[in-house]
Amino acid sequence: MTESLPPPQMNPPLPQRTRNTAHGFLIDSIQMGWRWLARMRTALYMLAASAVLNVVGTFVPQEPNVASTVARWRNGDAGPGVGVSRALDFFGAYDIYGSALFIALLLAIYLSLTACLVPRIRAYLRLVRHSVPPLIDKPSRVNSTVTFVTDTTQVDVIQTAKTVLGRHWRTRTADSTRAPQLAAERGLISREGGSLLFHVSFYVLLAAIIVGQLTSFEGQRGVVEGEAGFTDAAVSYWNYSPGRWFGEDQHDGWQLTLNQFDVDWVRNPTAPGAGQATVFRSHVTINPAAGEPYDAVIDSNKPLAIDGRRITQLDWGYALQVRVEIDGEVVHDGFIQPMLGDAGVYRGAVKAPSVNPDLGLDVFFYPYAPDDAAGRPVPTGAPWDEAPMLLFRQWRGDLQLGATQQTVNDLDTSQLTSEGGAYLRLGQQVQVGDAVITFVDLRRWVGYQVSSRPAIPALLAGALLLVSGLTIALYAYRRRVWVLTQLGPSANTTLVTLTGRAFHRPDAFIDEFADVAQQFAAACQARDLVWDSESNTPAAGT
Amino acid sequence: MNYDQLAELSRVLYFPTTLMLYLGGAFVYLYALTMGVGRQDQRERGVVLRRIGGVMAVAGVATHVAHEIARGIAQQRLPLGNMFEVTSLMALVGVLAGLFVLQFVRRRAELNGFVLLAGSLVLGMAMLMYADPGPLMPILDTWWRPFHVSLLVSAMGIFGTAFAFNGLYLLRDTAERSVTQAFDNAGSGGPGAAHTNDVKDLPERGSAADEEREQLQQYHAALRAGINPWKLSIGVFLGTSLVSWVWITAQDTLAAGFGRFFTVNLTLVVAALIARWFVPFLPSTSALDGLAHRLTAFAFVLWTVGVIAGAMWAEVSWGRFWGWDPKETGSFLTWIAYAGYLHARATHGLKGRNAAWIGVWAFVVLMGTYLIANYVVVGLHSYANL
Repeated sequence: MTESLPPPQMNPPLPQRTRNTAHGFLIDSIQMGWRWLARMRTALYMLAASAVLNVVGTFVPQEPNVASTVARWRNGDAGPGVGVSRALDFFGAYDIYGSALFIALLLAIYLSLTACLVPRIRAYLRLVRHSVPPLIDKPSRVNSTVTFVTDTTQVDVIQTAKTVLGRHWRTRTADSTRAPQLAAERGLISREGGSLLFHVSFYVLLAAIIVGQLTSFEGQRGVVEGEAGFTDAAVSYWNYSPGRWFGEDQHDGWQLTLNQFDVDWVRNPTAPGAGQATVFRSHVTINPAAGEPYDAVIDSNKPLAIDGRRITQLDWGYALQVRVEIDGEVVHDGFIQPMLGDAGVYRGAVKAPSVNPDLGLDVFFYPYAPDDAAGRPVPTGAPWDEAPMLLFRQWRGDLQLGATQQTVNDLDTSQLTSEGGAYLRLGQQVQVGDAVITFVDLRRWVGYQVSSRPAIPALLAGALLLVSGLTIALYAYRRRVWVLTQLGPSANTTLVTLTGRAFHRPDAFIDEFADVAQQFAAACQARDLVWDSESNTPAAGT
Repeated sequence: MNYDQLAELSRVLYFPTTLMLYLGGAFVYLYALTMGVGRQDQRERGVVLRRIGGVMAVAGVATHVAHEIARGIAQQRLPLGNMFEVTSLMALVGVLAGLFVLQFVRRRAELNGFVLLAGSLVLGMAMLMYADPGPLMPILDTWWRPFHVSLLVSAMGIFGTAFAFNGLYLLRDTAERSVTQAFDNAGSGGPGAAHTNDVKDLPERGSAADEEREQLQQYHAALRAGINPWKLSIGVFLGTSLVSWVWITAQDTLAAGFGRFFTVNLTLVVAALIARWFVPFLPSTSALDGLAHRLTAFAFVLWTVGVIAGAMWAEVSWGRFWGWDPKETGSFLTWIAYAGYLHARATHGLKGRNAAWIGVWAFVVLMGTYLIANYVVVGLHSYANL
């Protein structure tokens, strides 16, 4: 039987001991290092360090999130300049959560957590198995205390106390060498247990995240309305990031075609929230590997689930079918997907390298550019495609494909000469130079993400452990009460002292103590009740 | 009633009605606080005043709730969609939680004034981000949103109230320390009254009463003098600047930006100076520390659940549960900061002033990430301009 101790110091002093051999020095160093890791102060330093990294992650653009911004920081177009950018790169600040620094810190935090938890769990198990509250001779000054006189015997008082306290208190009675006394303790298992549960949940979360990384898969693919969709297979994704344990044979081979994409806005310019989108909805047909094709709907907050895969809409835009003919020969006929830029203008490019010299179109697309009274289009920033207008400038020369870095929607005009431009309504065609440009069709495209995360349930379980452990640790509190008895002032009476204290949340205990005392006094049919000053003012707080 | 009338009604309910009621209640309560000591008739007047303050507080909460309802009906959705609505709700929850805890849990209703003052500040801050009622982005139109956002907003409000008590704790502690030090240096005995609350009954009349009252006033003055007003003002100004610089960048013109920046900073400096004046009437440091801690503990659980709910929503809506988006990073940073506070408070050698400072910094982190992630850094969570 071990008497439970008061809550241990979180920062126990490091014992200084030295062995005089080289071997002993090594052991001492490891031991001291381990103890240093186990200290709360160390953990706080590490939390602070991870906070600093987080601040960096907030202010410095992160490559996995906004790669284009990072690229602009790197070449000095934005941000603090090339020199600083190089320094940031050196510390891995552009991908702080994948940087060696962050991984090392994470490792150190988990090491410190382990060093802290191992002795705590051992002590906790000992406590749960063996602990009993200590006996006392007289109430401490910090206790809340109430005394009264009752007509029952000392042994009966102890019995009553046991009944009043109920089964939630861990009790102990005095041996025959003392006056009958009851010591009771509560909250020690739940508080420390909750705290341990909270801390252990981090291992569950870590394991779930690591296993999740290994087994998950994520792929992105854009699909134009009415065009052939894509098949769930490794080769069909534009971005494909499988976990190490995710085999390519795990794809199911279903097919997705986009029939129609609904998008709408608050069109009244004076209405509240004018211009905001109100709906993003894909009507798709899924052709499963086995079974009949079926129609489905993907909404912004309702991803489609197919055999454990989740299909989410990530992005959308307009897809413009532009045909370019030179001397009756089609040199380009396909959808371009211009990007939304400033002021509601979509910018894209048509690249036709098969003609000589190369032909390029710098495309500006205005979804809503109605005609004015004179019949000229007036571009607006409105996103709905009620009066679409394609504006382009035609370039000839060398597109420098493969020679310089350029996206599909960018033209490198350094080796090109302009041949003038024109605007087109849907279905119109125009001749610029020797080229005939036709604005054939206007549709929408949607970027989908297909993902599979089998470790999500484990992650949720870890989160549940975390929250429940946290709540228990913050709300359970450890307190002790004692019932001391001695022979009363007259024959057949007992003088009873009920005293108690809390190690945490003293404010909550004052109310609880008052309740227990009242119940106990009533059960003992008490007389001459005397509260000490502290418990006499249960409303005063601490 | 049509939409415009409802929108107008909700606006009027918010400003000036709620703001005036909160501010009025705050000042009535604070004035009543100065009457907690002294002669019997004064104390009775204090009780009456406190009742008036209570009526104003309840009326303020009622108009605030009515504002939220009117706004909700006007736009046919829960008012949790943009920064004004979020900040407004933060004030409401902070005031409600603070008043509830002080009134019913801790039974320290005399401190309600500070909660109302803090609520007025947050309410005023929301007005800097006022937006007319409007519809919601479709990505936000799901039951996840009220679940996720209301948890986090409630946590923010309660963190705010906890911050107020942390600040008061630091003020009171500084004042007490300096007084103790002064008496130690003078080599004389103690100041006579360790806490003004101990001095409950002063004699009604006579020279003894005058002498005792003078002693008390001297003690009050000494407590106040323990906090250097310049140091406090400059500290609060600089501390607020850590967050309020966002207003400079968020405005169209630099002048308007600096206008807001100084408005926010100076308002908080004034609030800090008001709090300094009331330092002698504060309860013991351990009571203030306990209030801050319990409120923080509660809000921390809400915050944790809110962040987890956000991750679950992100998995559904964006196809990934965590992507280090600026706001995700910010919420995680806030979580770490408050975890640091809770750990520090359980650590010998760090509890007390050190822990309280960590709590203050944690709130700076909370407000900083809230504003920065919305106004400065563009991420998936940038709904500020709706």
